[in-house]
Amino acid sequence: MSCTCFIIPKDVLERLSKDPELSKELRQASKDTARVSSAMRNLRDQASLLTSATRTVGIMELQLAPFPAVKVYDCKHHQTLPGTSVPNSGTSPDLTASRTFKETTAVANFYKQVFGRNSIDGVGMTMLSSIHYGTNYNNAMWNGAQMIYGDGDNQIFIDFTAGNDVIGHELTHGVTQHTLQLAYSGDAGGLNESLSDCFGTMFRQWEANQDVNHADWLIGHDILGPVAKTKGFTCLRNMANPADPHALAPQPTKYAQITPGMDPHYSSGPPNLAFYLSCKSVGGKSWEKVGQIWYRALTGFPPSPNMKMKEFADRTRKLATQMYPAAPAVATAVGQAWKQIGL
Amino acid sequence: MQNHDQLTIERLGGFGGFGGPHLKSKGELSLSGLSAEDLRAVDRLFPGDRQVSAPKTDGFRYRITRWSGSELQTIEVSEEEVPPFIQSAVKDSLE
Ligand SMILES: [Zn+2]
Repeated sequence: MSCTCFIIPKDVLERLSKDPELSKELRQASKDTARVSSAMRNLRDQASLLTSATRTVGIMELQLAPFPAVKVYDCKHHQTLPGTSVPNSGTSPDLTASRTFKETTAVANFYKQVFGRNSIDGVGMTMLSSIHYGTNYNNAMWNGAQMIYGDGDNQIFIDFTAGNDVIGHELTHGVTQHTLQLAYSGDAGGLNESLSDCFGTMFRQWEANQDVNHADWLIGHDILGPVAKTKGFTCLRNMANPADPHALAPQPTKYAQITPGMDPHYSSGPPNLAFYLSCKSVGGKSWEKVGQIWYRALTGFPPSPNMKMKEFADRTRKLATQMYPAAPAVATAVGQAWKQIGL
Repeated sequence: MQNHDQLTIERLGGFGGFGGPHLKSKGELSLSGLSAEDLRAVDRLFPGDRQVSAPKTDGFRYRITRWSGSELQTIEVSEEEVPPFIQSAVKDSLE
């Protein structure tokens, strides 16, 4: 079967499978393709359902491995996944491969040491990354099963693996998929993106051992290309000032400024700012207190695919009080931060 | 104004949030310049009752517009549904 079959929408395939003008073989092929495409599209949903089911019956304790395996594949500028396995990727002469291995391992360590989490799914899931995806590809993504990194066009962006916050961001989409299971539109979409930025930037600060005052709170600072820099841009997003004119993707700062249908990379601005304000007010290292509250809000509750930002805000307010009863300033900081963005 | 021979394409979203004030990714194709096979692939993207497909985390979406009779018809689909010749018609730019 040709892989181009998968780009044909299911409804079209189903129509073709019943088209009397087509040969019997073509009708059968369309039917088979529809079945396989549908199975592929459902794979992620089923993974999520399995995650919920295993949690419900209490078999999450079954660890696949005490520490996740980290694997890197090379797409060699094509878009077929996962690509060719890179042997001994940690010591590969391909700097993108060795960096991806090193930083992905570091993210696994970050989640393990700081939050006691074993990999993306909590039970040691292998962390799989594909590098050199496509040609001049200006993107990185999590496709429901693995990380994918483009090399950038070397104009607007460089290699997306050059940003450790990018790697932390993508892996956190995997964590969200296995925990809160947030949708990717509306309030939930903005929260989904914000959580990836929060944990991506926390990972960046943790690797540099920076406190909240020394951190720059920029997302994508390390992947900007020469054209973007020449024009005065410094980042994709600035968590400390989402509306920053030097950001390639300036965001709203208040919840009320979020409009229906807004791309989640823009609606994440207000919750990003709430996280930043909480961290700044509490002081110290972002992952020590506020990060712990955000982690518990993400992982300590049943899935909530259509969660509203207000619900998430109230959850972190409550958790701040419960987790730090001897330090009421933490709950005050979190409460004030959400209030400042209008929640 | 888009002419009747044009297919206009805009790539949106991704980690960078293309389609915002600065990051753009746009292109166009001349329908008369496409092979019969490619034209069929375009037609398959445009069934009348097409739903917007579910976006993937940080995946690109494509907004594709063409004339259908006297009306402009626009769809928005995720990257894996878009044929490679349409994907490669866009160019990223900074505004
Ligand atoms: Zn993302």
